[in-house]
Amino acid sequence: MLRSLTAGIVLAFAGSRANVTRTILSCAGIVVGVGALIMVVTAGDLGQRYATAFSEANAGRAATIEAMVYNPINDLAAYEEDLVRAGAQDVSLYQSPQNDTLFRSGDEAIESVSVTGVDATLSDIRRINLAEGRWFTEADQESRAPVLVVNQSLADFLGDQTELQMGTDRWIDVRVVGVSESSALDGDWYSAYLLRSPVSEEIIFGPSWDSEIGGFQGGGEDMGVTHLARVDPSDSAADQMDGGTEFTERMESARWRWSTDDQFEYFAYRSDFSEETDIVITVMSAGLLVIAGITLTTGLLGVLNVGLVTVRERRRELATYRALGASRFTLFVAVVMESVVVSVVAGIIALLLSFALVAAAGAIIGNFVALPPDITMTVPPSAVLVGLLSAAFVGLLAGIIPAIRALRASVVAGLRE
Amino acid sequence: MSFDVPLPVAVPARPATVPLLRVEGLTRHFVVSGTRIDVLRDCTFDVSRGEVVAIIGQSGSGKSTLLNVLGLLDTPSSGSYTFDGVDTTALREGRRSRLRGEGVGFVFQQFHLLERRSALANVGVPMVLGGVSALRRRARAKELLESVGLGHRLSSQPHQLSGGEQQRVALARALSREPPLILADEPTGALDAASSTMIMDQLIEQAQGHDSAVVVVTHDPKVAERADRVVELVEGRTH
Ligand SMILES: Nc1ncnc2c1ncn2[C@@H]1O[C@H](COP(=O)(O)OP(=O)(O)OP(=O)(O)O)[C@@H](O)[C@H]1O
Ligand SMILES: [Mg+2]
Repeated sequence: MLRSLTAGIVLAFAGSRANVTRTILSCAGIVVGVGALIMVVTAGDLGQRYATAFSEANAGRAATIEAMVYNPINDLAAYEEDLVRAGAQDVSLYQSPQNDTLFRSGDEAIESVSVTGVDATLSDIRRINLAEGRWFTEADQESRAPVLVVNQSLADFLGDQTELQMGTDRWIDVRVVGVSESSALDGDWYSAYLLRSPVSEEIIFGPSWDSEIGGFQGGGEDMGVTHLARVDPSDSAADQMDGGTEFTERMESARWRWSTDDQFEYFAYRSDFSEETDIVITVMSAGLLVIAGITLTTGLLGVLNVGLVTVRERRRELATYRALGASRFTLFVAVVMESVVVSVVAGIIALLLSFALVAAAGAIIGNFVALPPDITMTVPPSAVLVGLLSAAFVGLLAGIIPAIRALRASVVAGLRE
Repeated sequence: MSFDVPLPVAVPARPATVPLLRVEGLTRHFVVSGTRIDVLRDCTFDVSRGEVVAIIGQSGSGKSTLLNVLGLLDTPSSGSYTFDGVDTTALREGRRSRLRGEGVGFVFQQFHLLERRSALANVGVPMVLGGVSALRRRARAKELLESVGLGHRLSSQPHQLSGGEQQRVALARALSREPPLILADEPTGALDAASSTMIMDQLIEQAQGHDSAVVVVTHDPKVAERADRVVELVEGRTH
C-alpha cells in the first residue's frame, strides 16, 4: 500500500515533467482562478483591517459606550466607580471643556482647537497612533503644568511647542508630551487631548467645579459629563435598545450615591461601529467570494477539460504502467497526484504574482494617501492558505474524473490504443 | 540445449519436475458485436525455469492473446493457468498486479516504451513500482542498458531511437527486476540479423544464467531453432 503510494507519487512527478503541454495548459486556468481568490481574500482582509482601524481610532474598540450624565454630580469618583460596577472594563473621561479653550504660542493666538479632557486609560479604549513622543502616564498626574497630546496638524502649525499656553480665563503654561498621528482616518482640524489632573480639572469642568469635594457646586446644573466606557461586547450592557440600554438601568439604581437630583438624565449609547463594519465586511466578502468561486470553477473546468482530452493519450501510457506491474490504485494516485502537483505549482505561481501585484499596488497607493501604520499592503497568511488549499482541492477534483476514466479500460485494450 | 551448458554454481538448480507455469485446457474467446470469436480453443503446456520456449503460428492464430494471458494482462475464458504454484484465475487485481510486476518481464511486439521519457527512465519504471531507491534504480538501469549495447544512449527518448534500439530498451526494461518469467512477443520482428541474434543471446543468457523461464513468440525459424522447445498454435490449439 505504502509502496503503491510512493510509486504513484514518483510517477506523478515524472508524468508532469514529461508532458509539458498538458502541464502548462492545466496551469494557466488555475493561476488565474487561484490568483483571483488570493486577491479577493487579500482585499477582504485589508478592508477589514482598515475598517477596524478606522472604527477603533475614531470611535473605540468593541464595545465602547459613550455615557453622558446631565444630573449635577456631587461625587464624580463615586459616579466613575458606578460605571465600573455597571460593567465597564475601562473608563476614561471624555469631556469637552464648557468654556472655549484658547491657545497661544508666544504672542500668536490659535483659535478653534478642539480640546478633550481624557484619562490615560483612553488608550485602552481607543486606538491611539502616535507620530512623536508618548501617550500619558501615571506620572503626568503630578505635573505642575497641564499635559497635552496634540494632533499632527496642530503640532505642524505650532512648530516650536515650548512656549505653548492655554486658558479659559487666564493663560497657563502647558506641556506637550506627544503628537498623535494624522492619517487617512483623521480630519485636518486642530485637536488636543488634555489629561485630567489636579491642575487641569478646572479647565475641563469649568468654574462650578469644586476640587475639594470632587464634584460640582450648585452652579453645575447644566453641566453634562461625558465618559467613554469599554464593556465586554458579549455583555448585555452593550446591546443597543431604544429608550436606553441595560447600562442605563444599571447606572440608575445607585444614583443617590453621586447625585441628589430627582430626574434621571442619562444617555448611554454604543459609539463604536464594529457591528456595522462587520456586517458590511461580511456582505462584501461574500460577494467577492462568489466572484472568486466562479473564477476558480472556470479554472477547474479548464483543468478538467485538459485532463479529459488527454485521457485517450494517457490510456496507453497507463496501460503500459499496468503491464509493468502498477496496480490501479498506484495509477489512480499517480494521476490524481499529478493533477494536484500541477495545480499546487500553479497556485504557487499565482501566489508569487499576487505578492508582486499587491506590493506594486501598495507602492502606488502609498503615493496618494498615508495608510495607518499598522495597515500594510501585504498578502495575509489566510490568503496564502486559502489559495494553496483551493489549488490542491481543484487539482484533486480535476484529477479524479480523468483518472477513473483512464483506468476503466482493461490493460490489453489500453495497450491497443 | 541449455542443459548442455553447466549452470553457474551460485544459482540453485530447481528440480525440473516443477514447472514455473502451467496452462491446462485454456480457452479465450472474444465477443465482437454479438459474434463469438474463439481465438484460443485448447492450450495445454508448461514451461520450467531455465527453459526457452518458442511459440509459433500463423498471423492471427492467437499468439499475442496467449502471451497476454501468460503475462497476467488478460484472463482466460476457461481452463487453468498456474504461475509459480499460484492459481492465477482467482487472483484479485492487487495481487495480480504485484505478481505481474515481480514475476513477469514483458517485451511487447510494439515495444510500448513511454514517450518523452529517456531510455534510462523507461528502464527504471518497473523498479519504481518495486520500490527500488532512485540511486540504485539509476545504477541498475545504466548497467542494463550497457549490457544491451546502449550505454551511449541513456538519455535518448524513444522517438530518437531506431526500432532495434527501442526493442533493446524494452528488453532491458523487462529484465530490470530479474523476473522468473520473460515473455517476448516477436522481439526480433523489426530487427536485422545481427540485432536479432543479439536479442536472442540476451534471452538465452537470461534463461541459462539467471534461471528464468523465457517464452518467445516468433515467425523467424532462426529464432525458433535456438529455443529449447517449440509450441505451435494451430486453430487455437497447442501442438
Ligand atoms: N480484444 C479483442 N477483441 C476481438 N478480437 C480480438 C481481440 N484480441 C485479439 N482478437 C482477435 O484474435 C485473433 C488473434 O489475435 P492475436 O493478436 O493473438 O494474433 P497473433 O497470433 O499475435 O497475430 P500476429 O502474428 O499477426 O501478431 C485475431 O483474429 C484478432 O482479431
Ligand atoms: Mg501478435
